[in-house]
Amino acid sequence: MHLNFKTRLLRDPWFVSGGAVSAFILIFLLLSPVLVVHDPHDMAFTPFSPPSAEHWLGVNDGGMDIFSELLAGMKNTLYFGLFTGLVCLVIGSGAGLFSAWFRGIPDLVIMRLSDVLLAVPAVMILILLAAFFRPTPLYLALILAALSWPTIAKVVRAQTLAVKTGLHIHASRQMGASGLYIIRTHLMPELYPLYLIGFASKARMAMFMEVSLSFLGLLDPGRKSLGMMINYALRYYYLDIWWNWLLPPVVCLTLLIMGVTFLALSLEKVFDPRLKEIM
Amino acid sequence: MRRTGPGSNLLAYALAALVMVHAGYLLPRMLPGDFVSAIYSSSHVTLSAAQEQELRSYYTAQDGFGRYLKDLVTLEWGYSYAFLSPISRLILQALPWTLLLMGSAHVLSMIAGFLAGVEAAWRRGSAAEKSGVGIMTVLQGIPEIGTGVILLMVFAFYLGWFPAVGGETAYAELSGLARFTDILKHLALPFTTLFLAYFPGNFLLTRASMVMILKKQYLETARAKGLPSVRVRYAHAARNALLPMVTRFGLRIAFMVTGALVIETIYSYPGLGTLLFNAISQRDLPLVQGIVLFSSLAILLINIALESAYGFLDPRVRHAS
Repeated sequence: MHLNFKTRLLRDPWFVSGGAVSAFILIFLLLSPVLVVHDPHDMAFTPFSPPSAEHWLGVNDGGMDIFSELLAGMKNTLYFGLFTGLVCLVIGSGAGLFSAWFRGIPDLVIMRLSDVLLAVPAVMILILLAAFFRPTPLYLALILAALSWPTIAKVVRAQTLAVKTGLHIHASRQMGASGLYIIRTHLMPELYPLYLIGFASKARMAMFMEVSLSFLGLLDPGRKSLGMMINYALRYYYLDIWWNWLLPPVVCLTLLIMGVTFLALSLEKVFDPRLKEIM
Repeated sequence: MRRTGPGSNLLAYALAALVMVHAGYLLPRMLPGDFVSAIYSSSHVTLSAAQEQELRSYYTAQDGFGRYLKDLVTLEWGYSYAFLSPISRLILQALPWTLLLMGSAHVLSMIAGFLAGVEAAWRRGSAAEKSGVGIMTVLQGIPEIGTGVILLMVFAFYLGWFPAVGGETAYAELSGLARFTDILKHLALPFTTLFLAYFPGNFLLTRASMVMILKKQYLETARAKGLPSVRVRYAHAARNALLPMVTRFGLRIAFMVTGALVIETIYSYPGLGTLLFNAISQRDLPLVQGIVLFSSLAILLINIALESAYGFLDPRVRHAS
């Protein structure tokens, strides 16, 4: 069954293209210690110098090497997304499993709480917190995750309720398995497509948020980010810098988001049986 | 998606509104030390001693939550020192532009996405449908910032077809039709960016729901009765694809507002997003707080309105409750 999914994933053009784009970005980032010769915070170069052998993408208005900035920003955006996605996944699947397993009052409380959180516009809370407290990106990621786990929790809960009534669960309970054992060995592995789908969509959302917040100037200006680069470059778009300063972060951001989007889409398509007939 | 009757989620929305309002009240009062001088020291705005005192007392006033709520309702949202204007006036000035931009982008992308989705599902398997789905999926992967910057560079900077900044030509004092076309010209690029961001999602979702609906037996009945195919498509099938689109809109609106903030800033469109951006860069905290609170309450209101639209759109929801 797993093998079947694997071959179907590998045959899906969206999975292949999304995977290729993501792999390309990862290799690019892994090679960054070799590629980057300048410190992205080093302001020692001539501002607005055009691309040269030493500065592949030129130098920005503050005298910093754009190529090193680009790699540092991409790394920050990617980490923010992956970390938020992971925390969302842990809280969301934990809450979903918990409320489906115990039902009753815990279920009611968790589901009402997620209804409220779904109604709260997360970006507004983030803007407010970022403007007043200037938290580090780590805290922002945690807050974003704390606000956006409910969609994962709802999906995991629904699927757990469906799996819970299965005969194999009854059988293992009959044989005296503890609740924890059943959750660990029978429920959690069976839900794994949901983790992948949830993780990918949350990571995408978080990367988009990070770029937007840094574009709006809400994150620490000393921390490199694609959004901040786009914002700074846009101020000089009438100069002839657009192709070496403005375009690279835009293209990198688009590739980053596109890769994750295609992966999420293809996972959903392959693992959700209802979608099989549509595509 | 769990379908609950209208009203059951009202409590959640009310609680969420309370959370937002209370956060606006509580956060500034939780800040340690003299944050007014700490934050305004890095701002371009210089405050006189009296203004600084006033701001400090605004934030540390122990009037209680009741007073805060009363001020909120009576539009007493404080005073912006960066713009030297009451906050409520600034917000109400910017609001029509945001409504124009986001409203037109949403309404048109929903109508166009819906029609295109219905037609695509009807022509399932054709080359046009397949390439349409492919193109829309690729478009869905492009973030608004990317489209916005590229459109700005190509159509405003290189070709010069459309203006790059603002909502209308400043000091032009145009009237009547000339002003209308001027506004439309300024709207074109930000509108196109948002349209390109929203259209693919609406198209793909409508198409997916329609493909499922078209398999239903009642459609075979409708066709067997000899009804014209337009009537089968829209009166019998497409109505059922409306509800998922409305649900998606409600779930994604907070996310879409984030994109609109960025797009308004890129084109310096005089709406709430640009106002927020300026407030942030000037460290004008009362204004940031006012905009955030105003937009969150607006988002909640839209969600509540959508919730009550369910029953109107789908009689099954109405009769179930």
